[in-house]
Amino acid sequence: MKDNLIKQILDQRRNTLPRLSTQMVSDAAEGGCGVIGFISSEKIKGKHVLQASEQMHNRGNGKGGGIAAVGLNAEQLGVPEEILQDNYLLQIAYLDPSVRETVENEFILPYFTVNHTALIAAVSDYREIKGLAVKPPDVWRYFVRVKPETLKEFETKYDNLTGRASEDEFIYQNTYRLNHKFYASLGEKRAFVVSHGRNMMVLKIVGYAEEVIKYYQLEDLQSHLWIAHQRYPTKGRVWHPGGAHPFIGLNEALIHNGDFANYHSVSECLKQHGIAPLFLTDTEVAVLLFDLWSRTYKYPLEYIIEALAPTTERDFDLLPLDKQKIYRAIQATHIHGSPDGPWFFIIGRTVPEENKIQMIGITDTSMLRPQVFALSDWDNAQRQIGLIASEKQAIDTTLQSLKEDYPDICPVADKYWNARGGSHTDGGSFVYTLSQANGSIKLSCADKFGQEVPYVSGTRPNNNGRPLAKGRVRPEADKGSQLQHSKVAAGVVPASIQDFQSIIKDSDYPALYNALTQLIQSAKQDGQQFTRTIETLTWLRDHFYPTGNKKRSSIVALMDNYLTNLFQSIAEIKQNINLPYTLVTRSEVYGDLKVSATSSERVAEAFRLPLPGSLEETLVIQADGFPSEGDDGMSRVIVEAYRKGWKKFIVFGLTGQRFCGNGLGTGSDGVRIDLYGSSGDYTASGLDGAEVYIHNAAQDQIGQILKRGKVVIFGDVGQTFMYGAKGGEVYVLGNAAGRPLIDGVGQPRVLINGTCLDYLAESFMAGDPLDDGGFVILNGIRFDDNGKVVDLATPYPGGNLFSLATGGAIYVRDPEHQVDQTQLHGGQFEPLTAQDWQLIKPYLEENERLFGISINEHLLNVNGEQKKPEEVYRKITPELVEILQSFTEDM
Amino acid sequence: MGFMLPKIKKVSGIFRTKLSKFLVCRDHHCINCGTCMAVCPTGVHQRPDGYKRTKPPEHDKCIGFDCLKTDTCCVRHCPRGALKLELDPLWETLGDARWPADLIKATWHQGGTGELPPSYYNYETGQSEGGFDCLHFKYPELSSESSINNDEIDTSLELNKRSFGPKITLPIPIYGGGMSFGSIGLSVMLARAKAAQAWQTFFSTGEGGYPEELAPYDDYIITQVATGLFGVSEETLQRVRFMEFKYAQGAKPGLGGHLLGDKNTSLVAKLREAVPGTSLFSPFPFHSVYSVEDHKKHVDWIKAINPNILVAVKVSTPTDIDMVAVGSYYAGAHIINLDGGYGGTGAAPEIAKKNIAMPIEYAIPKVHKFLSAEGIRDDITLIASGGIRSALDVAKSIALGADGVVIGTAELIALGCVRCGNCERGRGCPRGIATTDPELSPLINSEWGAQRIINMYAAWRKYWVRLLKKLGLKSFKELRGRMDLLDYVNSNNQEIKNKSCKV
Repeated sequence: MKDNLIKQILDQRRNTLPRLSTQMVSDAAEGGCGVIGFISSEKIKGKHVLQASEQMHNRGNGKGGGIAAVGLNAEQLGVPEEILQDNYLLQIAYLDPSVRETVENEFILPYFTVNHTALIAAVSDYREIKGLAVKPPDVWRYFVRVKPETLKEFETKYDNLTGRASEDEFIYQNTYRLNHKFYASLGEKRAFVVSHGRNMMVLKIVGYAEEVIKYYQLEDLQSHLWIAHQRYPTKGRVWHPGGAHPFIGLNEALIHNGDFANYHSVSECLKQHGIAPLFLTDTEVAVLLFDLWSRTYKYPLEYIIEALAPTTERDFDLLPLDKQKIYRAIQATHIHGSPDGPWFFIIGRTVPEENKIQMIGITDTSMLRPQVFALSDWDNAQRQIGLIASEKQAIDTTLQSLKEDYPDICPVADKYWNARGGSHTDGGSFVYTLSQANGSIKLSCADKFGQEVPYVSGTRPNNNGRPLAKGRVRPEADKGSQLQHSKVAAGVVPASIQDFQSIIKDSDYPALYNALTQLIQSAKQDGQQFTRTIETLTWLRDHFYPTGNKKRSSIVALMDNYLTNLFQSIAEIKQNINLPYTLVTRSEVYGDLKVSATSSERVAEAFRLPLPGSLEETLVIQADGFPSEGDDGMSRVIVEAYRKGWKKFIVFGLTGQRFCGNGLGTGSDGVRIDLYGSSGDYTASGLDGAEVYIHNAAQDQIGQILKRGKVVIFGDVGQTFMYGAKGGEVYVLGNAAGRPLIDGVGQPRVLINGTCLDYLAESFMAGDPLDDGGFVILNGIRFDDNGKVVDLATPYPGGNLFSLATGGAIYVRDPEHQVDQTQLHGGQFEPLTAQDWQLIKPYLEENERLFGISINEHLLNVNGEQKKPEEVYRKITPELVEILQSFTEDM
Repeated sequence: MGFMLPKIKKVSGIFRTKLSKFLVCRDHHCINCGTCMAVCPTGVHQRPDGYKRTKPPEHDKCIGFDCLKTDTCCVRHCPRGALKLELDPLWETLGDARWPADLIKATWHQGGTGELPPSYYNYETGQSEGGFDCLHFKYPELSSESSINNDEIDTSLELNKRSFGPKITLPIPIYGGGMSFGSIGLSVMLARAKAAQAWQTFFSTGEGGYPEELAPYDDYIITQVATGLFGVSEETLQRVRFMEFKYAQGAKPGLGGHLLGDKNTSLVAKLREAVPGTSLFSPFPFHSVYSVEDHKKHVDWIKAINPNILVAVKVSTPTDIDMVAVGSYYAGAHIINLDGGYGGTGAAPEIAKKNIAMPIEYAIPKVHKFLSAEGIRDDITLIASGGIRSALDVAKSIALGADGVVIGTAELIALGCVRCGNCERGRGCPRGIATTDPELSPLINSEWGAQRIINMYAAWRKYWVRLLKKLGLKSFKELRGRMDLLDYVNSNNQEIKNKSCKV
């Protein structure tokens, strides 16, 4: 019965819908792009999309931007709530405004009861929006239901298509016809449907995503879910926005970062199901696939995701048998239509039947595009937010932006993580679901298999959001804590980090404020104390330790806040005391002057940088406003200052600026750079002697071709970490994402305390570790919510470890022998010798000093039992493959 | 232009016995009468003073069968019928359809003399019956040829057409392609460096870094950043004026570089910081670049290291090569280098060599037209490479729409390469070119090699001057994109094929 209906639907589409006469060719090759999405129990204003989008300009080229908003505010749209919930929100973009009447007469008025019509407001002259080169289309919004008589007639073609299913299909087909006639056919691009789903809208333009918000005046539009996309089409002269993301199925909007290799075979698969793409981009076919499997075949979400990103290789073998059976069937049916190549989707959708709104992030099986997920609550679990982006900095920026409307939101999310594509662990996908229960709206997040991502418990201060006024004691810090902490109350500055740890663990927030305020006060009196204060605050933000009932994210945000304030007040403090720090801001370095020149010499000449007073003096750079790249970018400022003799740097307030530490050149020994905020891609690449400390998680391509020097990352690190590295000493507190240390040669020595998604040290060629070569130590641990070290479920979950390596070694902490031969492709296990231990021990000791991960208490202690190094660590070395070795003389 | 053409010096080959196209055989009937000496205008037959007998014929001076029709033919004049003219059987074993013996020998000649080869060599096309061999110039019937002065002919190439980065103009529309230390030896690298310096152009050091001995030639070096990132450091990027990303090679698209274990000697391994004797495979593609926006970031990265560097992007020729070119432009590259499938040395795996990308003569016009339609053609330099063998191939590439070309194999031929195809074996190169082997590589002397390459380009330039004049054009800039001047002719049409620009 059901199969028959599916067949009828597909046949109807195949036989009655018009086709494109031209061959299917992808219109514009496009690569990766910038994507961000967030979903919240609150209805969030559109303006919060702005900043993150702006900071991802370098992921687009201004030739296509789009947004989708799901879960809207009926009042703002001028309709009653029931209309918003029940009606289809049909939005049509009129590239040629004169065609509206024709379109309405042909495709709307005959079939639909229109309950509300409006032209979406827009800026009167698009040229007012700086950077907008093409006028965005007029978009009309219609709230519609299909007329009963129309539907009745429509249903006669099917045996058993009724109710919403039938109305959905009618909407879908009607949109297809409209687009075919007014958009795709004959190349006359006059009008197209931007969205037609319920309680959701899409808008897109030729421009950047934030210009959509500005042009259509969406700053104050409220919505539970927003997704935004910066497009990078490589066909230059784009003059209409049809190719911009998001693309729609029925009740879903999809944005995409990447580029399929098999556009044609996906299109062919759709064709076999009677579906023809009209917009000719890979993103369109992706959402058409999704709609086909979800609405026509009625697959559960898990199976749709499996059909898009199949579970393969070892991960497949590790699935439960019953799951293997189903997945095998899915793959057999769908793998030829699965998007192949680098892609990452964010989907926003409504599930009206279940009264749910969902945001889904799916990564391809090989994890070729960057992706970060985050989850947080504020208000002590009353309100929640989930975020997905191509860069972590976009998440942080969004949270920061939200503080404007929600002072209590914490600018640091409780959790950040990556999905492991096509895996048996999380399936490479996470689904955020907003559902209503007992009158309140709740956000939950689960992976592909339905396993929930739990919220972090703990309290937040009720004033987390507001920035601290410089040097002023908070009113709430004045009272309250005296009784508990006489030491603090008496005005004695907490002497040590331990004092603070105990305050954080045992006291309330006001007591902590009080202690911090006093610490700051003391820092302003004395140069050495200033340095110690920076160290203390930094330690407290970087480390994991028990925080009692307080949320770690709140503590981190608090320390960041105090640090920022302290850095910003350097000039003020220097009026009174001698301070070996100098603060520079963008306006001081080159004012409002737009620096760009044909010759680098001229650009550098435009920089106004002070000279260091002494070798020990630190240049503190406020990152606000410095571009992410280019001649006037942050990294060039550091290089120029280095040329002037500066060796110590603190950069704070970073918002994704790339390349910090690049360009210092040969022999940068003695340089130390401390980065605060969200550092960007390629940080610390190519160092030759310098040290870089990243006081946060790091992004992608960190330490590429690193030669010598030291990098310390107090968090996770992104994709292709240390690609082609030649050396250096690197410590990572958390995990590395996909593809770390590919093609490492020479002697890179890396310690990763967590694990990595997959492909660790592929083609590693770093000699013999016992003879000056390189290696990776993988500890396979994490900190739990209480700040305690715990073992990960497995030290290495991926199916590819040390593949094709010809040199170097991996020392994996694997007391249970969970890593097995099937994960190695060209590697072999060897026992850990005393010599090996002597080699890695100093690195573990430095790790202990940096992160507080103790060799004896944590690493050699397995389930409470003290073990010997060789019982805990295993060594993986390259297997000698005859054919890859040198030909012998007699050959 | 203040550029003085480099001096030509005659340099002989390194082997005493010269390979020749024709054999002049003298048998026992010879009476040493000296008639042959007297008639031969090119000096095949010689008898030093005081000697009774004639020396064995110097075959490579013989102009071949054409001579039989003349009055100066030794064979005809020999009173005893002791002389015989035939094709050297060795000749037939030399070369291949793409690089026939004629072209190889002609290239040697140009390397040795700096002059255009004698016309009895077919040095303009090969015998591949495809590619450039099927393209022929339609020379207009004009008398203006003589009206253009040789001095007025401009063969230069402007490398940077963008508003940023260093302005560099090359006197010839050529720079040297990527060959790594390891794939070739130090003396060959030095020879290429010195030749690049003499011609004020560049040569690419390929993947894997380069020895310190090349440091004096930094201004002429192209540092390559390839997918294995071997030998790439900030230093190698900061000391040069020009870098290229090697995303892919036309000779083996879809594969990274290969240096088989045999060629990974301890010296090579040291430069690349890898383990000697292991095969070094560069991945495909760049693991940090899976999309065009990653590519922009990649270019930005290079500029963060050296803001004043010229950036070239070398890609093979997939079907969407036009999009790739536009993407590179928007990412901020100065040069897009299309690498077609005809090129490469023998050091690529068979399966790669035989599964090639779009032919370069299709790719160039496709990209040229697309860039023009986008309105950015004059903002980016389009370079073609991959199997461009001769001065005429260069001109054809430019007429198809390229601004200039990259030359690789031809430089090695000038050094004496015989195209035996054993490049991947460390001790396989009989001429000491594609090897770092301590016994074989001293066969090449870098001064000698440099002069050979200098001479070859000098001869090529002479050819271009002649060609442009014949086309009635004053510069390669005028020739660019003039597809109307080309005919596609298959092997049967002798009439057009016979049109030539030879002496």
